[in-house]
Amino acid sequence: MSEHHGEIYRYVLRLTGRRTDADDLSQETFLRAFRAHRGLPPDANARAWLFAIATNLCRNHFRAQKRRRLAYAEVELGARARDDERPDGVTVSRQMGAAVGTVVARLPLKQRVAFLQRKVHGLDYDTIGRSLECSAESARAHVFQALRKVRLALERDGLIDKELAT
Amino acid sequence: MKQRPAVCIRIEADLVAAATGEADAAAARRVTDHVAACGSCGEEYAHYRAVDRAIGALREVPVDAGGAARARERLEARLLDLRSRLIAYRVFDSPLGPVLLAHSEQGVVLLEYLHGPAGAAASRRLAHRGGVELVRDSGEAEALYRELQAYLEGRTHQLRWPLDLRLVRSPFQRKVLERTAEIPYGAVVSYKRLAEDVGQPRAVRAVAQALRWNPIPVAIPCHRVVGVTGLLTGYAGGETGRKQRLLTLEGVPVVPAHHDYAIARGAMYVLAPGDSEYCLPSCPSTEMLQSGRPMFFGSRTGAEAIGLRPCTTCRPDLHPLHEVN
Repeated sequence: MSEHHGEIYRYVLRLTGRRTDADDLSQETFLRAFRAHRGLPPDANARAWLFAIATNLCRNHFRAQKRRRLAYAEVELGARARDDERPDGVTVSRQMGAAVGTVVARLPLKQRVAFLQRKVHGLDYDTIGRSLECSAESARAHVFQALRKVRLALERDGLIDKELAT
Repeated sequence: MKQRPAVCIRIEADLVAAATGEADAAAARRVTDHVAACGSCGEEYAHYRAVDRAIGALREVPVDAGGAARARERLEARLLDLRSRLIAYRVFDSPLGPVLLAHSEQGVVLLEYLHGPAGAAASRRLAHRGGVELVRDSGEAEALYRELQAYLEGRTHQLRWPLDLRLVRSPFQRKVLERTAEIPYGAVVSYKRLAEDVGQPRAVRAVAQALRWNPIPVAIPCHRVVGVTGLLTGYAGGETGRKQRLLTLEGVPVVPAHHDYAIARGAMYVLAPGDSEYCLPSCPSTEMLQSGRPMFFGSRTGAEAIGLRPCTTCRPDLHPLHEVN
């Protein structure tokens, strides 16, 4: 069942921004799933279900920590991109990726969940709605809100012009 | 601030969708047509395409592969540990009254007749086991229970449950239970005989205690063990009503006796220890009947099902007893 672990780990890491949280919460996700079903439902829903459990655990975790978001991308991903800033295409794209990471880390939780599930993990809106306990339309709206914010941030940093110029 | 044309405002959502791969074919076509004609929306579209590429770049950013691998290793270890400790239980309304069925990954751990408020008794028995994690069953017990139901309705003569004997308390109890599991359907032996079979002929009461704490009655048929005089004497620490029902189901003739039930030994076939032929109770070779050592069968089919032949002296095949069922 832990074949999905890598993906859930990456999801939780992007959601929380901390390795220790990703470690604990991804493990807890699978232990919970196991307690509930002694394994996973064998169908494709397993993935959606794991995402829902992970999201719930993260939400409770944030509530407990009274900490809604962390600008981890600046610390972990952004720093790396700045280190080897070279004027070629690879670096621009890396810089873009890091910049998006930074914006995402600052999104409100619902938008961040919706954005990550849709844009990084490619889940459908029904599934995302289940994680957020909202309709597919609301999930879609969260993703679009996030897209607008990403765009504004990239424009503000001049990264879009830079990218379009290459 | 410049007012944007209504058409541009209307198409904005589709435009974002199309640029980020979220639009359906019709919307994408509308956007393509509009962008070809409208310069500012063309720019807008290009920006969102750039955002989409940036998101693609985010997906490419390597995310802590080492940490993930270490976390997964720890998870595997914890899962292994959890699997060994997890016991799932559920209460069913059986023909024998409410029963609690608990199982682990290895098999059925406990079948308990509930007397008081449902669940209370069982949690006591399971919770006292260290290192056990109890969860409510989420469906697997259903199949196990259906088999029990089929058994109690006489549709099957054997529970094919995998068993997990972790609640067995001692090697002695394990030996008694293993021996009990060998008593065939429709047959009855005495506690005394069972004690002899496990090599402790004087430990009759200890044998009875071992059976009293049988964690998985019915599957381990302790109801097929009775007193040396034929009285049922006790069952699962309670009265013998359930024992009588289980035996009757198997075709064992059971009659009321003072404050109890007794098997009707006079109406049962007899098998002397070590023999391969079953006899009528009147057969001269069964004179040791009083010794409490033979095995009794409720029916010829029960005896023949385990490969016994009719005795050539008393010919139970020619003069069968009046058979119950």
